Amino acid sequence: MELSDWQLVEKCQAGDADAFQELVSRYHQKVFMVILGLMRNREDALEVAQETFFRAFRKIKSFQGGSSFYTWIYRIAVNNAIDAQRKQKRNPLDFHESMDGLFEARNEVGKDPFSDVHDRELRENMTKAINELTPEHKAVIVLRTIEGMSYKDIGEILGCSEGTVMSRLHYARKKLQDKLSDFL
Amino acid sequence: MSQCETIQESIGRWLDGELPATDSEAVRSHVAGCADCGAARQRLEKIQLTLGSMLSAEASRLEFSPFWREVQRRIDEKRPWHEELIDWCRSTFSAPRLAWAVPAAIMLVLGFLSLAKWPVGGETNNYASVESIDAYGRNVALLRDDKTKTTIIWLYQNPEGENENVEETAKPGPAF
Amino acid sequence: MLKKLLNPVLLFSLAFLAVAGWLSAAENTPQAVQVTIRTILAGDKSDEFDPKLKGMEQQLKALNHRSYRALKDETQTVPWQGSKAFEIPGGRSLTIAPQEFQDNRIGLKVRLTHGDKPLIDTTVKIANKGNFILGGPAHEGGSLVLSISAAVQ
Repeated sequence: MELSDWQLVEKCQAGDADAFQELVSRYHQKVFMVILGLMRNREDALEVAQETFFRAFRKIKSFQGGSSFYTWIYRIAVNNAIDAQRKQKRNPLDFHESMDGLFEARNEVGKDPFSDVHDRELRENMTKAINELTPEHKAVIVLRTIEGMSYKDIGEILGCSEGTVMSRLHYARKKLQDKLSDFL
Repeated sequence: MSQCETIQESIGRWLDGELPATDSEAVRSHVAGCADCGAARQRLEKIQLTLGSMLSAEASRLEFSPFWREVQRRIDEKRPWHEELIDWCRSTFSAPRLAWAVPAAIMLVLGFLSLAKWPVGGETNNYASVESIDAYGRNVALLRDDKTKTTIIWLYQNPEGENENVEETAKPGPAF
Repeated sequence: MLKKLLNPVLLFSLAFLAVAGWLSAAENTPQAVQVTIRTILAGDKSDEFDPKLKGMEQQLKALNHRSYRALKDETQTVPWQGSKAFEIPGGRSLTIAPQEFQDNRIGLKVRLTHGDKPLIDTTVKIANKGNFILGGPAHEGGSLVLSISAAVQ
């Protein structure tokens, strides 16, 4: 029978390393997706994702279960990503190379659901447009898009009210629509 | 604001399932029958779908084993003391705590200043500062009693005995 | 609810209001001053100590008389920049005029007269709710002692 997240957390707190590995296995892709949405490139996102789970391991004993585990881990992930972005010293040229890397990767997989040139241009410009948002606006749109989280959960993760989440989402979507109007 | 403008302001929340039931129904039925609002819905959905697909595709390439190995390496590695200290500082003095520690500190300082100004319990400085005295030629003594911190102004009677009845002469004054 | 109370923005606002209120309280002149004059007869013919003066015993001991008797207590509210006269036994009058309030100290102008003859004019600053003593005028074989206290309203 599969253990719940909270049961795994309790086992971690009791010193069970395998339990923590199970938690990482459940959430590593989702956490990576969120961080990738906030960061400029894959390598940095990977680094931050690994750091996120390392920090979660260090803090797991203090996790009281007041929020769900995924809210807690996403909070650590978002804070790490925002911190990392602030420290980032990469220049825009590196950013473009990373963007090309994204497209190459998709070709390697061999499955490009967006074979249409128009959609390709949309993706290209989407990354640019997303990266022009502030970290806070990026965070709300990524969390909502990837996880379909409620405003309440997003607010819990970002430490803000539902009203703030709503207004940030509205602003971010408006900005993206303005910038991508030619491709939508 | 036109009805379409109002509806388009709410399309995001409607798609997110965050509108109350009655408002949600109103938006749904309007969007179903309005080309502009229908197009606005499609644009939002396309943004969502595209971003989601982009990130999912990237995440699906992430293999667990190397990822876990790297996490484990960090767990097992002994970190330099300065990194531990930075981590501790960050967790202790993180922004949300600092944010409310500052107004708490302001209030504490105000509290101390208020106590200094208006002591609660304890001794008040009862000394009066005498800025001017005019006794119209009479002798006057200005005294401070340290025990009670009281200021005393003592007016000595006029030698001509102006104070009331001559027979009722008071003592010259307190024997300080 | 508690989370909202601990909102840093809310706390900053409360702190700001507290600062504003504190500054305002510190600097604003209150509306009026409540002045109390306690008239005491100090003498040496007996060792009587009026129990009503128990609270002032230490202060009165400094005057070194043998007996103290409370004659009269009078309290009046005096407006800023106004003045009020207090009747003192023996045809005397004490006029008090509050001048200012700063750093929790009240500035008072005080005049003691005998009939229409001024005996003493003094300007003092006393602690809010504090007092000072003005004494000396002869009365009934002893000396009048006036405890003058003031409190802002």
